[in-house]
Amino acid sequence: MAVRSVARTTPYLEKVAVEARYNDVDPVYAETRDIRLFGFVLFLLADCVLFGAFVFAYLYLRTAAPTWPPVVDGKQLPRLDVAFGAMNSIVLFGSGVTMHFALESWKHLKKLAFNFWLVATILLGIGFLAGQAHEYMSAQMTWQGSTFGASFFTLTGLHGFHVFAGVCFLTVLGIQANRGVYTGSKYFGLVAGTLYWHFVDVIWVLLFFLFYLW
Amino acid sequence: MDVAAHPIEQHEAHDHIHPAPEGFIAKYVFSIDHKVIAIQYFVTGLLFMLIAGSFAELMRIQLWNPKGTFMEYHTFNQMFTMHGTVMVWLVLIPLVTGSLGNLVMPLQIGARDVAFPWLNMLSFWLIPVSGLILFSTFFVGAPSSGWTEYPPISLEQGPGGPLWCLAIIVVGISSTLTGLNFMVTIFKMRAPGMTWTRMPLFTWATFATALINMFATVALSAALLALFFAQVYNVPFFDPARGGSVILYQHMFWFYSHPAVYIFILPAFGVISEVLPTFARKTIFGYKMIAFSSLAIAILGFAVWAHHMFPGGIAPWLQIPFMIITYLIGIPTGIKIFSWMATIWGGRIQFTTPMLYAMAFIGTFSFGGITGVYLACVPVDLHEHGSYFVVAHFHYVVAGGAVTAFFAGFYYWFPKATGRLLSEKMGKVGFWLFMAGLTGTFLPMHWLGLEGMPRRYASYETFAKAFPDAVFWNRFESVSSFLMVAAIALVAVNIIYSIRSGRRAGNNPWGARTLEWMISSPAPYYNFKKIPIVLDRPYDFTQPLPYRNLDEVTDPYPVPSEAVLPRNAAGMGV
Repeated sequence: MAVRSVARTTPYLEKVAVEARYNDVDPVYAETRDIRLFGFVLFLLADCVLFGAFVFAYLYLRTAAPTWPPVVDGKQLPRLDVAFGAMNSIVLFGSGVTMHFALESWKHLKKLAFNFWLVATILLGIGFLAGQAHEYMSAQMTWQGSTFGASFFTLTGLHGFHVFAGVCFLTVLGIQANRGVYTGSKYFGLVAGTLYWHFVDVIWVLLFFLFYLW
Repeated sequence: MDVAAHPIEQHEAHDHIHPAPEGFIAKYVFSIDHKVIAIQYFVTGLLFMLIAGSFAELMRIQLWNPKGTFMEYHTFNQMFTMHGTVMVWLVLIPLVTGSLGNLVMPLQIGARDVAFPWLNMLSFWLIPVSGLILFSTFFVGAPSSGWTEYPPISLEQGPGGPLWCLAIIVVGISSTLTGLNFMVTIFKMRAPGMTWTRMPLFTWATFATALINMFATVALSAALLALFFAQVYNVPFFDPARGGSVILYQHMFWFYSHPAVYIFILPAFGVISEVLPTFARKTIFGYKMIAFSSLAIAILGFAVWAHHMFPGGIAPWLQIPFMIITYLIGIPTGIKIFSWMATIWGGRIQFTTPMLYAMAFIGTFSFGGITGVYLACVPVDLHEHGSYFVVAHFHYVVAGGAVTAFFAGFYYWFPKATGRLLSEKMGKVGFWLFMAGLTGTFLPMHWLGLEGMPRRYASYETFAKAFPDAVFWNRFESVSSFLMVAAIALVAVNIIYSIRSGRRAGNNPWGARTLEWMISSPAPYYNFKKIPIVLDRPYDFTQPLPYRNLDEVTDPYPVPSEAVLPRNAAGMGV
């Protein structure tokens, strides 16, 4: 029994030891990068639940309402401006593309290109936030006035907060990368930043569908 | 196949052990050591239990007379609100998942710490912060609409409400981070050879709990964020006049808060699964079934929340599936109960204090579980929901289940945390006091509830006119509840006495077989000098220990000699 058991654990040990040699870390915790990646993905999944709960609230209120958009003071609220929303979405999705290029440039050790694409991502992210601000200012409903407004401002506000946090995150990553925190083989922070940014994009796909298209 | 020739052995030079931090602050206050954090959780949880327990006793004094003249009715409402809030979020979750989970799980899987020690420290320190926010509500008018804070009442109670929301969101973040941390630790940091089906059962239970912690707690944060917006900014999520719905809050709240009861009962199941085989000296019966039923409970637990809302007015076609799924949870739970009974059956039982608590747990928890099955039935629930029957049910599950199992785990693992055994004499007296108090307080609530005594009432004068025996039983409960206070006071005395002059534990005082008992007590900062290799499940008492490198995982235990060795109450910080 014992022999078979050790045999079963052998590939695991080899994998750990090989990774340890490759990354020059404590072999017992050779999986360090792996651990951080897994933890970060779990964090993003938990974040999905936050949006999920508010999306549930929105669906609940929307299906319970007799008309949608709801009627406030005897007047039906107008639908949101799809054209503007679509434009703003393209800005955000574009920033996802530039972020992808930024990470790929880093992997290929092209530092100049990395900086260019990262700055482009940050600028596009700020552009999206500006678009959101314009959208909020020109909205014909209020946070307090109706359930549509409540859901719209809460969900897009949460998303906007995530984009804002992402812009800060990427700025810090840019500074760190230029100060030599990351190398060609160790760049977990950049991977996390990219994942986060794509996550924010994916959430926006759902929100765009729910609020603008549906 | 020789293990010694393996690459991992050749790299031993890299397998360095980090030195323990120096200085009081780094060692005991802002510690990143999971064992110290566990003790911090324990002390904080016990302090909060003192506060929430005194709220409960004040309520019991109020109910001594049917008229209820001891305190104002509004104060009474604040008392039961804060009692529930503090007990659920600041006592049970820190004690059961925070304290036991942190202390035992990394040791059981052969890890040097949890995956993210700094995050672990943050998780702990959010708990006192949340406590401060919560108790600050007493200066501005504490919330008084029950621990569930249903709107519309919770929208009308001044600044106490939003502060309450903030406090619970902070606990929620702490709990989510702990869940994430534990999940990564269990997935990624098990000792070589510890496959999923070789994992100790407490670790399995912790894993199932972490799953709930991660995914349900965020939903609670969302619900309370919505409530916060509704209270502070008048956002119409829960206002029917503007298209909102009060039932929506109940959905969002119970989506977390039903799984929350599994957050404290699943680790309790894990504790029982460790304690019973050790003191019955017999292999656990149905290892895989116990392990997988924890997961089944965690997953089913996400699909039963609306059984708290039957009287609140959800659609009848929704009530039936929720009733049936709730019944289904009885199956994995029953599997566990019968597996535990089969574990003890024919064993060589040692009646130590942890074993007494564990065996009592089987009875008291089953009792609370079965009344839970009654309550899941829609017509019964409609009749009983607002009565003392519900109070009896969940106190049997929480006090008779989670707290009883917590005490089993506490007596069982205290030697591992401190290096000293607790006094068995005091432990046993405390056990009988606790059980007498538990039964005396909560058992009569069943028939009071069936007679129709409403819960959360500061005065039951009208009810007592119809059922004169209610006065006797309420007084009986009030007296009994003080037995539980005595039991918990005795635990505190026992801790203080045993840290100073308890018997030295040695590595493995109970003759248990899981990994945490293979190293010295208290466990050193680095836990394992060398990570052992796991060959099999830990529970088969007829086999030799299923680990390799056992002689190298820890320093040989020094001969206990009180005169030579320095007094070592490591980690207690007292």
